[in-house]
Amino acid sequence: MRFVVRRLGFFVVTLWAAITANFLIPRLMPGNPALAMMARYRGHINPQALHALEIAFGVKSHQSVLSAYFSYLGNVFRGRFGISLTFFPDAVSHDVLQALPWTLALVGVTTILAFLLGTLIGLVSAWRRGGMLDSLLPPIFVITSAFPYFWLAMLAIWLFAIKFHWLPQSGGYDFTTTVGWTWAFVGDALKHSVLPALTILVTSIGGWILTMRNNTISVLTEDYVRMARAKGLSPWRVMWTYAGRNAILPNLTGFAMSLGFVVSGAILVEFVFNYPGVGWMFLQSVENQDYALMQGLFLMIVLAVLTAILAADAATALLDPRTRDLK
Amino acid sequence: MRPRGERALSEALLRTEGLTRHFHVGKLLSRQTLHAVDDVDLTIGRGEIVALVGESGSGKSTIARLLALVYRPTRGEIWFEGRPLSRLRGRKSRLAYSAAVPMVFQDPYSSINPAYRVSHGIVRGMKLHRGDLSRSERGAELNRVLDSVGLVPAGETRRRFPYELSGGQRQRVGFAQALALRPKLIVADEPVSMLDVSIRVGVLNLMGELREQEGVSFLYITHDVASARYLADRILVMYAGHLVEEGPTEDVLQRPKHPYTQLLVSAVPDPRAELGLADARDVGEPPKVVDPKPGCRFRQRCALAVAECETVTPQLRELGDGRRVACHVAG
Amino acid sequence: MSTSSLGATDQLGTPPAGPAPLVAEIGGGRWGDVWRAISRNKKALAGVLLLLVFVVLAIFPGQIAPDDPAAQVYTPALGPSWHHLLGTTGRGEDVFSQLVWGTRMSLVIALAVGALATALSVLIGVSAAYLGGIADGILSLITDVILVLPIFPLIIVIAAYRKNSGLFTLIVVLGALGWSYGARQLRVQALSLRSRDFLESARVRGERKAYVILFEILPTMTSLIVATFLGSALYAVLTAAGLQFIGLGDPNSQSWGTMLYWAQNGEALFAGMPLWAIAPGVCIALLGASFALLNYAFDEISSPALRVRKLDRARIPKRLPPPAEAPQAGAGPVLKVEGLSVAYATDAGPVVAVDDVDLELARGEFLAIVGESGCGKSTLLYAIARLLGSPLPGEIVGGRVLFQSKDLVLLEERELRRVRWRDLSVVMQSAMNALNPVLTVAEQMRDACRAHSNMSRAEIAERSREVLRLVSIDPVHLHSYPHQLSGGMRQRAMIAMALLFTPDLVIMDEPTSALDVVAQRSLMVQIKELQERLGFAVIFVTHDMSLVSHFSDRLLVMYAGQVAEMAQTRELFDRPRHPYSQGLLEAFPSIRGPKVRLLGIPGAPPDLARPPAGCRFAPRCAHVQPRCTAAEVPLTSVNGSVVRCVLAENAP
Repeated sequence: MRFVVRRLGFFVVTLWAAITANFLIPRLMPGNPALAMMARYRGHINPQALHALEIAFGVKSHQSVLSAYFSYLGNVFRGRFGISLTFFPDAVSHDVLQALPWTLALVGVTTILAFLLGTLIGLVSAWRRGGMLDSLLPPIFVITSAFPYFWLAMLAIWLFAIKFHWLPQSGGYDFTTTVGWTWAFVGDALKHSVLPALTILVTSIGGWILTMRNNTISVLTEDYVRMARAKGLSPWRVMWTYAGRNAILPNLTGFAMSLGFVVSGAILVEFVFNYPGVGWMFLQSVENQDYALMQGLFLMIVLAVLTAILAADAATALLDPRTRDLK
Repeated sequence: MRPRGERALSEALLRTEGLTRHFHVGKLLSRQTLHAVDDVDLTIGRGEIVALVGESGSGKSTIARLLALVYRPTRGEIWFEGRPLSRLRGRKSRLAYSAAVPMVFQDPYSSINPAYRVSHGIVRGMKLHRGDLSRSERGAELNRVLDSVGLVPAGETRRRFPYELSGGQRQRVGFAQALALRPKLIVADEPVSMLDVSIRVGVLNLMGELREQEGVSFLYITHDVASARYLADRILVMYAGHLVEEGPTEDVLQRPKHPYTQLLVSAVPDPRAELGLADARDVGEPPKVVDPKPGCRFRQRCALAVAECETVTPQLRELGDGRRVACHVAG
Repeated sequence: MSTSSLGATDQLGTPPAGPAPLVAEIGGGRWGDVWRAISRNKKALAGVLLLLVFVVLAIFPGQIAPDDPAAQVYTPALGPSWHHLLGTTGRGEDVFSQLVWGTRMSLVIALAVGALATALSVLIGVSAAYLGGIADGILSLITDVILVLPIFPLIIVIAAYRKNSGLFTLIVVLGALGWSYGARQLRVQALSLRSRDFLESARVRGERKAYVILFEILPTMTSLIVATFLGSALYAVLTAAGLQFIGLGDPNSQSWGTMLYWAQNGEALFAGMPLWAIAPGVCIALLGASFALLNYAFDEISSPALRVRKLDRARIPKRLPPPAEAPQAGAGPVLKVEGLSVAYATDAGPVVAVDDVDLELARGEFLAIVGESGCGKSTLLYAIARLLGSPLPGEIVGGRVLFQSKDLVLLEERELRRVRWRDLSVVMQSAMNALNPVLTVAEQMRDACRAHSNMSRAEIAERSREVLRLVSIDPVHLHSYPHQLSGGMRQRAMIAMALLFTPDLVIMDEPTSALDVVAQRSLMVQIKELQERLGFAVIFVTHDMSLVSHFSDRLLVMYAGQVAEMAQTRELFDRPRHPYSQGLLEAFPSIRGPKVRLLGIPGAPPDLARPPAGCRFAPRCAHVQPRCTAAEVPLTSVNGSVVRCVLAENAP
């Protein structure tokens, strides 16, 4: 229990740090871009939009920094991030919720898939040390893990969309299909997600394979694995419950730690594919200087990453009795 | 108290009075106190080898670290050459004490920094504590201490890396490091327990020789009662943080008074004697001393326990001939 | 307090003078050794060469690139030709020249951010570990928060407010946000070092904290620090390229990321200029790959467990195979080992750890195998049980292990499984390591029962309770995890597990050496009682001869991989025939009888990679004669004992 409470505490602290960073960054930059921006826009855009900016920056001309900070915190907790300039007059929260399902479906599913698949390949290649799988995949993925995500995305478009015309090159769905829960739409959305998903899969899977492989190799030298062999258990049982279950524990921690990196890559992949998710929208907002939307999306990304980490922690607690007894 | 301190000053090199060390365990809400060492009075004379025996967790290593200034005592005082350590002020006087009372560690595979040559620790010690030595004097001294611990040829050994030495040789390096400080008392914490049987005795003999040649005293901390008998003049027996018995080694081991000492001595495997089965049913798990209540800490395992043992912590009693025992019944 | 007392035991067949740890090689300034290690590792070599190419490009772009990278003077969108090796951009620049000039910025970012982030990692990670307490708590929390914050979006947010900020700002921001991963790992390693005695030794000596951190801790962490540097450099290359790609860098600077930005804006892929988009990515990938390869290789070099060595059987001195013999059924010895040899591979070639061992074990017999670290006793034990493999490397290279009229050496793993645990079970040195930490005692017992019987769940539970009671453990502990039991209890639970099927033979590897003397004696008495009651045979490995003196029927003394002497226990204690046995008996003091000065055995066991010619004990023997070193000394039978010594040959 203590473990879960502690991780929840960490969740809150990190979220607070992100929100605070969000509040402080525009103010701490040389020349205070927040105020400069406000001054520039005053009189040029309508009062509603100006108010949106005020909320985004937590700036009201007559407020002290501290009270601005607290009213900013209050707004964040009520989900009020102001109004988007790009999609005027949408509320930022509305836009964020529009983009979120696309990203959850693409990045979320792909990341979990990459983790599971990578962990499995890592386990098997360590189990069959020096075998076909082991001599082929790990070295390949050492190299692919150094590939820039966005470049691989470009390459995939060039090869599979432009050269071979196998798959659509951009977007989340064909604009000719109507959005809704129809077979036609879902099939089309799936087709559009193949290339971005593969890109994320190929670049992120290497890390999981390598760490799982190394973990397993060191777990295989443990006495309890030898003991399991001595007990005459089936190799299957030894591999899963003795080697695998112990080796995956550090990998789960690794999952939590490198999630931020995967998300960074996913943002660029969405950008290259014009995929209508959080990452694409985030970069749009940067380009359009839509700071309200940008900050809202940033917090969304942080929240998603933290939730995933909490899930990884829960899995750790489930698999490792020692964390449950932690005092 | 004061008069006793004055009297002991004339004979003892080091003396502790009511030495106590507690550790806090657990987190903020469930704070508990682990009594690693409670109320220990011990003395070590000049040129004397004193053995401190006990099982793991009995507090003997904590005593070593208290004497080496790694931990500060929770209560109690350590007197060295008649001066209390709590009044050591400044880095200089602490350094002077560190040089006089160095420590040798248990694990020869982790007690020397693997990144440096063997000479590193010895030379560092001299630079810290014997700043008056010139570079060439240090070199000569390095060779001398390596020679006297039997690492010959010294000129060859000093250039080695630890991984090139065997466990016994590494342990000798530990003694050379101590020796380079011109110590008065070496605290040796289980120095042979991780060595192979065939080389253990060599290290024990080395300690004996250093006492003869350099006049160094030793506090020899061990769980191996037989090696304590081989080496030490006096023996102190610890159980669960308390000193339960002390006296001349041969006396204590041939006629142990405290029931724990008796159990310990009977459990030592000895091919030359009959198998002692008297207490074989005792599974041998000493208590964890967390927030203890008064009373004898051995009482749950003791065949002699009486009502008094439940409530009153036995103090060390003089039995004559330098023997003392902390037991309400034995004597 | 002496938690590491289990280290007192056999070092599992590792030769005493093993290969140097990497830290020693580097810390000791042996750069020659480092280079040798790199050149032996293909991945490291590839990484170094790649990196060198980029370094040369970064230093001499003017000499290598044919054109001015910024000059938009050529026909746009040309294909590759001699003039333009990689064609031209959509804006009329030479792609190859841009690539060459772009190297410098990527490399500068990689190295500068790598250095900055590594310095911060070291400072924060090592201080946190060394200071401990509240300082550690706060520093670790900051590290973890920065670690899980998605750095890239954060940098984008920062960059969005400060467009086109210079290279310096980029490096500072990347460095300031990129240290946390390394700091976390360095902290963990420093924490594990903190309990190492050499640091305590430095503190006791009176060294200052700063000295201890800088000169005692850091040199031993070289390999992790290098890994941190490589990891941060890789992160910097990728992140900087990403930022430049989305237009948050200086669009007029020469870098690979900026090239990709223009390529994307110029729709290079659609407009038939794929090289413009592909080439910069290849460069980023190659530079990244060089860091990743070096990192991976470094991991392999510094942790030998990741390396695979192949045993070169041809280089093992041949022994004559034992004469074939029809395995007898029914009565007879429960185990018969003939000419068993085990070898393992090292960088210096094969090492024969167990050399031509014969032994026989009657039903219900208790045989103890004693010897010093590295004498091969554990290797022999696990070879008999067919359980060799990391961390006890080795392959059986000759001999037979006849058990239940089958030769275990020849059995397939599938057939072996039928014998395992039902008929032959194993008790290991430390139950803490030998029990699976994530399963309860009950689950681990159930595993074994399921593998070998059709017992129902209730029957399994009943049998598990029964065996726990046999070793005096309250069956309530059945549903405990190993870490919830005390050391003595864990050890008993493992013995209980070994008795689930009341096997014919239980193999025990120092099952009591991690325990204190009182607990040790109590467990020995219990093992002996169970053995007499249930009638299983025991092979018991120990480094402590006196421990088994009252319990074993026969004693086998091993030295340097060979049988030195095997005799009835009493006989061997009373009349040791091999000088090594004599030496061992005289090496440990007794708590009774007259006090005599002991001498031990001078010298150390031989390096098995280069065993001495003739008798392997000769260099340490007081009775050595010329013929001892002339030829190998065979085993001689004397009154039912066997001894490998020339002195015994003369005895009547």
